[in-house]
Amino acid sequence: MNLLQSTLSNAFISITRNKLINFLSFGIIAFTLLIFGIFNYLSFSLETFANEFSKNIEAIFYFKDNVEQPEIDLLLKKLKESLLVEDVTFNSRDQAEIAFSRQFPELKYILSEFKTSPFPASIEVKFKQEYNIGTKVISFIEDIEKLSIIESKQVNLDWAQKVMAIKKFISLVGMFLSMILIFVSAFIIFNLIKLNIFYRKEEIIIYRLVGATDWYIKIPFIIEGALLGFFGSVMACVLLFITLKLFPAYATFMYNIFKDMISFKNIPPVLFLRLLLLGTGIGLLSSYISVRQFLKN
Amino acid sequence: MIEFYHVFKQYVKDQYALYDVSLSIQKGEFIFLTGASGAGKSTLLKLIFKEELPSKGQILVNSSNINLIPQKELYLLRRDIGIVFQDFKLLANRTVYENVAIPLVVRGERKSAIDKMVVKVLAQVGLSHRKNYLPTHISGGEQQRVAIARAIVGNPKIVIADEPTGNLDTELSIEIFKIFEKINANGITTIIATHDRHLLNMFPKRTLKLDQGKYAPSGPAEAIL
Repeated sequence: MNLLQSTLSNAFISITRNKLINFLSFGIIAFTLLIFGIFNYLSFSLETFANEFSKNIEAIFYFKDNVEQPEIDLLLKKLKESLLVEDVTFNSRDQAEIAFSRQFPELKYILSEFKTSPFPASIEVKFKQEYNIGTKVISFIEDIEKLSIIESKQVNLDWAQKVMAIKKFISLVGMFLSMILIFVSAFIIFNLIKLNIFYRKEEIIIYRLVGATDWYIKIPFIIEGALLGFFGSVMACVLLFITLKLFPAYATFMYNIFKDMISFKNIPPVLFLRLLLLGTGIGLLSSYISVRQFLKN
Repeated sequence: MIEFYHVFKQYVKDQYALYDVSLSIQKGEFIFLTGASGAGKSTLLKLIFKEELPSKGQILVNSSNINLIPQKELYLLRRDIGIVFQDFKLLANRTVYENVAIPLVVRGERKSAIDKMVVKVLAQVGLSHRKNYLPTHISGGEQQRVAIARAIVGNPKIVIADEPTGNLDTELSIEIFKIFEKINANGITTIIATHDRHLLNMFPKRTLKLDQGKYAPSGPAEAIL
């Protein structure tokens, strides 16, 4: 208890000792994590948006002209057995002609020019909602399309796929920027701990001479680094919350463009948790490396 | 208790801080280590608590070969040795009590045990009345007594002092040496590095002399000087 108490108090004393430097560090760490948080949020929102789009995936597969009925029946059976499929409807060439006539009565006269129905037979497939575009459905559709009896396909996934492509791009840019900024944060904490180690060099020397274990010396600095990272990430969470809440009010034009894609109202708690874990983790790791390097020398 | 076998220590090429030193110190002995400045006294002491490693040779402390003690177990050796420095090495922002308590705090001792031991050793060195003072608010002699109290608070088997009276006047130095005599009377092996002839003559003990890193035979102080 005594050991834990002195360890924690050493860490807190050290943080309060260099107020200005520590405050600046919090600021830089917070800014870094804020950028990470914003990109993470954008990526999360776009994914949600794309998933919404893809909730009711439907595909129509058009058959080639010379396909025999047993081949069609076999495919129908296969589709009905699939766990991904909600419903399957077969439309023969005649049914397609009737549907066209119903939908476009003014163009009915064109059909009289043909002896048989000019439309191909097709299968309409409705997929279950729990399977979104990111998973098995796309590859399933591609597999069906490759069959020799299929001429072409139509899928209502174009928009969702475009949104997913944007999401991927934003995730990549975000990851690249975040990695640079996280490295900057780690570097700052590393040097801050180094500075504090030099400030307490005499104390460390005495501790070592009177028989302190390496971990006894390391732990206060590691806790200090973790606290720096944690407080920085708390600040980042607050800044992220304020930024997302104020964005609609101060950037009305931009807001109107993005409001359908990005919900500025619902910020997922997991995002804050991620920031807190990341900040604390960076602090822990960089301070550990810093103090270990000092003790080795 | 402490044995050196053909120990060499070299910091720079072709220059030896210690040259082929072999010696033996028995349990409970009071030893003076003497020699001019730069003779290798501090180096020899640092080798005992593994602050330095020998360039060649073997050193046994409490029957352990210090070359073979891994870094992560070094603290066990250090807990058996109390060290006193010429510059006291006290933490300026901690009270006398807190400075003395450090060896026990780092061992994770209970508060009540720490209190009991610190109060006892402060009384031993005559500093009970100064326990809440900061080191900067007490005299040099008192600061050295705090350093001695810190060295003995953890019940070490060996106490090492490197020029403990180097910054003190004769009167205070005698006082400090008397404290070391009391410590030794409790069976603690005591090794003091000093080049103060007057004190060596006043306290006739076995004296080991170093001359330019080489060890001269030991004997009573008068014979050595």
